[in-house]
Amino acid sequence: MAALALVASGCSSNESKPAAAASTKPAGCPQAWRAGWQRVANRIHAKVYCPTWMPSPIDAQIGGQWDNGVSVEKDKSYLVSFLWHEPPSQDVHVNFRGYPGRTKIPRCEDTEVVGGKVRTTHMPCFSDSHGKRHLGSITATMYTVNRGVDQWHILYAWRDHGSLYAVSEHVIKPLTYAKVVSNLDRMVRGLVPVKPTS
Amino acid sequence: MKLTRKELLVGGAAGAALGAAGIYELVDRLGDSSPSEAASATQAPEQHLVNGLRVERKEGVEVVVPLRHHEVVTAKVVAPQNELLAAQADLAAVLAELDAAYPTTPEALALSVAWGLPYFRAHVPKAADAHLPFDRRAQKPALIDAIRFPSDPEDTNLEANDVAFLFRSDNEENIRTAATEIADRMKGALAVTSIRKGFAGQMDGGKGLPKEMATAAGVPGADLIPDGAELFLGFTSTQRNALGPAKIVNFETLGLVDLGPRSYFHGGTHMHLSHIFEDLEAWYLNQDFRDRVNTTFRPHMLVRPGTQTVAQPPSRVASEREVSRDYSRYGMIGHSSSLQPASRLQQDIHGDDGTLYPKGTAIPQRADFNTLDNPFFWSADPKGDRMGDGPAAGLHFVVFNPTSDDFHRNRLAMDGVMPGGQKLKFPPRAPGQGFNSILKTTHRQNFLVPPRRHRAFPLAEIS
Repeated sequence: MAALALVASGCSSNESKPAAAASTKPAGCPQAWRAGWQRVANRIHAKVYCPTWMPSPIDAQIGGQWDNGVSVEKDKSYLVSFLWHEPPSQDVHVNFRGYPGRTKIPRCEDTEVVGGKVRTTHMPCFSDSHGKRHLGSITATMYTVNRGVDQWHILYAWRDHGSLYAVSEHVIKPLTYAKVVSNLDRMVRGLVPVKPTS
Repeated sequence: MKLTRKELLVGGAAGAALGAAGIYELVDRLGDSSPSEAASATQAPEQHLVNGLRVERKEGVEVVVPLRHHEVVTAKVVAPQNELLAAQADLAAVLAELDAAYPTTPEALALSVAWGLPYFRAHVPKAADAHLPFDRRAQKPALIDAIRFPSDPEDTNLEANDVAFLFRSDNEENIRTAATEIADRMKGALAVTSIRKGFAGQMDGGKGLPKEMATAAGVPGADLIPDGAELFLGFTSTQRNALGPAKIVNFETLGLVDLGPRSYFHGGTHMHLSHIFEDLEAWYLNQDFRDRVNTTFRPHMLVRPGTQTVAQPPSRVASEREVSRDYSRYGMIGHSSSLQPASRLQQDIHGDDGTLYPKGTAIPQRADFNTLDNPFFWSADPKGDRMGDGPAAGLHFVVFNPTSDDFHRNRLAMDGVMPGGQKLKFPPRAPGQGFNSILKTTHRQNFLVPPRRHRAFPLAEIS
């Protein structure tokens, strides 16, 4: 349905940004997306990063058409996800994460049944570092093997004032690895901080 | 470097396809050095041996440098039965001419002719009954039909070709010339059924052929192949210790085979040929370096991050008990370690010529190569072979073992079915089962490789 709407509207642009967003990095979180991101910052009592550009067709409006959920854990770490899905297997899926007050790569749990036994293993949620990327004021490490909802994603993670942040995008049709890297470069370069107001 | 449409397309007829390089033209454009002039060498009685292979040290490990270009041409015999002897003479003549023109060296051409069971059954059945070698250990003929293994898809095509020609060279032009010459001269006797092409990285610096070729072809996951890798999966597979020494796969060497009344196939061996798709994205996006080492070699093996050539000396060969212990402890087995109880000698053995093969020596001689065929470069039966559009990452797996059963024991071990009979329970293509989870085998067939003197229509003269 989403794809139909996309085709019907003749949308072939490779970017999604609110009308307020200019082609250069704006001073703040775009007007149309700001309220949702402010709510997340207020909920975790810490800074979050709001994107100013998103890969087509999704946008970063929490509660909007492409919202795939917001979750906040007891430790105040958050996950904000946006998804466009076209059956059987086309996605544009972007996750934003933050871990206030901690900089260590989180550990993920993997459970599988082998020979009738349930085996649980713990491993870093982000691994296979592919070096640093300097994107505006952010220097991020690129990880190519990621777990949980970031599985099959390329993920950029960076540390800022004692907290860890990450943005990831799914490598899946219609996107290639190179396109995802280019999208992530652009998304991270355009991130703007949103501080809690309450 | 991006490909033009012309480079991606292959002509419709076998003759045109044999003369075309398609995407593989890039191999020499991307390779660091052009082939040198052929050196002279004596032709060995065995067809499967290549003289003058270079051995280099990579990351402190001795590695046999693989040949750059590979091609397999399969065919059916279409000569009427009463013209089989004439066909034998014609093929023997063209092969002798090629031998004279090209010594069996990397710079010139290594050509092996292998025959499938359909040929022996249909064209020389009585002589085959009397002279085909017999596997004493398995109590079966040394050449039996290929099977689907537990991790194979249900639709893996078990092929029925009469003959396969394996061409290997650092010089693609030599392969093209030889393949075209055989096809032209054998018209009316052989009908080509498939053409399969590919290449191996020679680890000579830079990004390496696998990465450059896959990237040029736009294969998903290509960007993630480590620079300099020999194979798409990022590890070196031709280290000297993991390849059987010269004559170990000969039928007569290890005493596995009864050669029959006239030892007609003395100096021959067995060849398995399969095509395997490799899901590079799943390999590089779902498994980190540690996982890839665990699954390729052995769980919890200590390897420096980024290593491509992992030492596997005879002294560190895994036993069946150790593989079983890994399974119990970690719920996984490594590809190499699970194979070793079947693929390495479990004791010192003196070959038939007195050569000592120490415990831990590898038996199989692999000649596998990267491919972008989908699944073949050309097929006479595109529907039956499920020919796909565009290039796809994969492997044409070619391996020489003393018998079909010996290969089957190796391949079953890779699926957790150990040579001692123990079965480590894995669902098909489970992540714990080596790297089977990212492989998909499309075709399989077993062949007999006669000695050079009988490589043309074997047994036709005594049928």
